[in-house]
Amino acid sequence: MDNSKEWHWFKGGILTSLLSVATYFIFAAIAERNYPFGITAGFGYIAGMFGTLFEGLRENPVIKRYAEKPDAFIEFFLLIGLIGGGYTAAKASKTFSPEHFPAVWEKYHGKSVVKRYLFVIAGSILLGFGAALSSGCTTGNILQGWAHLSLGSIVAGASFFAGGIVTARILYPNVGGGY
Amino acid sequence: MIVSILFGLAVGFLFGYILTRTGITKYPRVMGMLLLKDFKILKFMLTAVVSSSILFYVLGDLGLLKLSLKALDWGKPVGGVIFGVGMGMLGYCPGTMGARIGQGKRESIVAFFGMALGIFVYALLMQPVKGLLLPCEITGDISVLLGINHWFLIVPAALLFAGIIYLVNRKVSDDRPIF
Repeated sequence: MDNSKEWHWFKGGILTSLLSVATYFIFAAIAERNYPFGITAGFGYIAGMFGTLFEGLRENPVIKRYAEKPDAFIEFFLLIGLIGGGYTAAKASKTFSPEHFPAVWEKYHGKSVVKRYLFVIAGSILLGFGAALSSGCTTGNILQGWAHLSLGSIVAGASFFAGGIVTARILYPNVGGGY
Repeated sequence: MIVSILFGLAVGFLFGYILTRTGITKYPRVMGMLLLKDFKILKFMLTAVVSSSILFYVLGDLGLLKLSLKALDWGKPVGGVIFGVGMGMLGYCPGTMGARIGQGKRESIVAFFGMALGIFVYALLMQPVKGLLLPCEITGDISVLLGINHWFLIVPAALLFAGIIYLVNRKVSDDRPIF
C-alpha cells in the first residue's frame, strides 16, 4: 500500500468539518429543515423507490419516508457525487487501481471470489439494516452526531466500533504491527 | 429540484475527494483501525468532530443554526452493533463505499446494492419489531439531561478527543506495516 501521497489526517479532518458545517446551512435552505448531512438516506432513497414498485408497500412508513423526504433525494445525488469524487481523487493522485477485492483479504483469506462476495453481500445488508435502525451511518452518527454531542449518536457510534472491533478480531486474529 | 441535485452532487464530490486523498477509504486502514493498530482514521475523525463541534455550537449560540439532536432509543445500540459487524465484514462504511466505487474497487458496486437491500429488509421487518424497540426514548441533548450549559460538555469533550489524538499520534506511526 502506497501511503506517500496521502494527505495529512489534520488537513482531511479540518476540510471535512468545514464541508459538514457548510452543508448543514445549505441543506436547511434547500430542504427547509435543519438536517445534518449523511449517507444512509441516499441508499434509503434507492430502497424507497424500489419499494414503491409494490402496491402493498406504498404505505410502509420507512419506504414512504425515504421515497418522499427531500433530504433522501439530495443524499441520493450525494452518493453519485461520492463516486465522482473518488474517481477524480484517485486519478489526481495517480492511485487509481481497479481491483475485485482487497489484496489484504486475499493474503489472509485466499483467492476465492465466492467467499469474498458472500462476505460483501452479507456485510452490506447488515450495514444497511444497522444504519437504518440506528438512524445513521459513520457520517451521520459520528462526523455529525458526535459533533452535536447527541446522546443517541454517541451510543450508536460507540456500538459501531464495538461490533467492528469484534468482527475484525475474528477475521484477523494474528496480524503484525505490535506496539 | 435541480438545485437539490447539483448541491447533492457537489457535496458528495468534495466529500469523496477528501476521503480518498486522505486515505480513509483504504481497506487496510479501516481494518487496521478496527484492530486498534492504525489510528489515522481515528485521528481524522476526531479532528473533524472537535472542529465541527466548536463551529456548530458557536453558530448555534449566535442563532444561525439549530441542531437536531438524535434521541437515544434501543435502535441505536442494537442497530449500531449490526452496522459494526457489517463494517468489519466489508472493511469500509457507506460513505467510503461510494468513493471506492469511483476508485475502481469492483466489489463495492455489489456492496452498494446490498446496502440498499439492507434498508429495504429493514422496511419489511421493522413494523412489528419497532413497537418493541423504540418506545423507550431519551432526549439526545445531554446538557438538558444534566441541566448544565452545553459548553461545560463541549470543552471537556474537545479536550478528551484532542488528548486521544495527541497520545495515539505520539505512540503509533501511520506508516508501519500491519498486514
